[in-house]
Amino acid sequence: MEGKDVEKEKQEEGSELSAGNQSEPRLIAFVCNWCTYNGADLAGTSRMKYSDNVRVIKLPCTGRIDPLFIVEAFKKGAKGVLVSGCHPGDCHYTSGNYHSRRKYATFRDLLGYLGVDLNRVEFSWISASEGNKWVAVINEFTDKIKSLPAQTTDIFTKK
Amino acid sequence: MANTKTDEKLQKIAKELLESGEANLFIGYTKGSNPQRMRPVFITKPEEAEKLSFSRHAVQDLAVFLKKQEVKKFGKIGIAVKGCDEKAVNTLIQEYQISRDDIKIIGMQCNGVIKQNLADKGETEVSEYTVYDKCLICREHTPVLYDFLIETEEPELSLSGNVKPYAEIEKLESMSAEEKNAFWAQEFDKCIKCYACRQACPLCYCSRCIVEKNMPQWIDTNSEETGNAQWNLIRAYHLSGRCIGCGECERACPVNIPLMLINEKMAKDVYNLFGYKSGLDINAKPVFGVFSESDFNDFIK
Repeated sequence: MEGKDVEKEKQEEGSELSAGNQSEPRLIAFVCNWCTYNGADLAGTSRMKYSDNVRVIKLPCTGRIDPLFIVEAFKKGAKGVLVSGCHPGDCHYTSGNYHSRRKYATFRDLLGYLGVDLNRVEFSWISASEGNKWVAVINEFTDKIKSLPAQTTDIFTKK
Repeated sequence: MANTKTDEKLQKIAKELLESGEANLFIGYTKGSNPQRMRPVFITKPEEAEKLSFSRHAVQDLAVFLKKQEVKKFGKIGIAVKGCDEKAVNTLIQEYQISRDDIKIIGMQCNGVIKQNLADKGETEVSEYTVYDKCLICREHTPVLYDFLIETEEPELSLSGNVKPYAEIEKLESMSAEEKNAFWAQEFDKCIKCYACRQACPLCYCSRCIVEKNMPQWIDTNSEETGNAQWNLIRAYHLSGRCIGCGECERACPVNIPLMLINEKMAKDVYNLFGYKSGLDINAKPVFGVFSESDFNDFIK
């Protein structure tokens, strides 16, 4: 990210309120180190443009992405959360993404049952060579989040 | 109250176990402060075995004590469990919390226990209106695993279908996100963060619970909206695929949050997604400890 953006981001980071602001909703992407992060990197080095609402947080593996991270992101005012990792069969640690898939299939149900709009959580498999897919997923997700009503309710935010 | 045949059989078995040294501690029920109440009892001497009793008021899940250090130090333990509670013992064995060799399971056949709040008002009849919802959906009236089985003298629970157990779940499922949110926000608002749900749960055995981890502080400990929702969500999540539906969390809750509506929903979803039911087989691998290449993938882009 270039200097100007960093400045802008710092200002935004300062106030939590701006993170949930409707015109520019904040999205958090939890990505794995080996596939999706490199896919996003490829998009960057190939000079592809994608929505700058997303903030990427790199973790070793989708298996390391605890559902608490999602809860924490929502609590801090994120409008949407994306979890992305290696395609099934491609996991750097052999099976982290399979375990994660099982966890998230149930966690997603639980979130929905407790009244979180499931349009606000997204999951994807993006490999290191799929820069285009990263761009598409992020742009689609941003559009989807922007189309949601201004005041989204969830059990984690104070009323 | 006189001893019933069930009581006599139970006392005999417990006495023999303690005398032979096959158990150093026996956990069972004894008569409580009034005829409509039972309470847990811990017996170490054979001659005390006559305190033991069992009835339709034995609501507690005694398996919860198996996670306590004070109980574990006895080594070999005998325990009287109903079918539902026995599933908790199975899960503890499955998760290597206790060893099958160290525990003698006395399976108490059971045809339903009366809701404590009704029993306190004098209810003594077992019927579909007076028992817990878990009894209405119970398929383990006879425990799935036991060393000794004590057959029940109670008549079989007759179900007319008028009472729909956990009916709220379907109602909630059909609601919109806002409505569900409103429902749960109102419920969680009552939470006082006493963690009784955790203490009463036989499967919440972590020596350091996630709420006690404060570097970083994942869950706000004050009893306010955000923290309450986080706590109840994470508690339910940590039990999904494990909860055996004994209902102790809900029974322990001082502010009556319908926790079983979450637990049962998760049990249902786990069964639909992975075909797994908890607590039925001590040799089965825990559902989140394994995976299949053909797992549900529709929600992932």
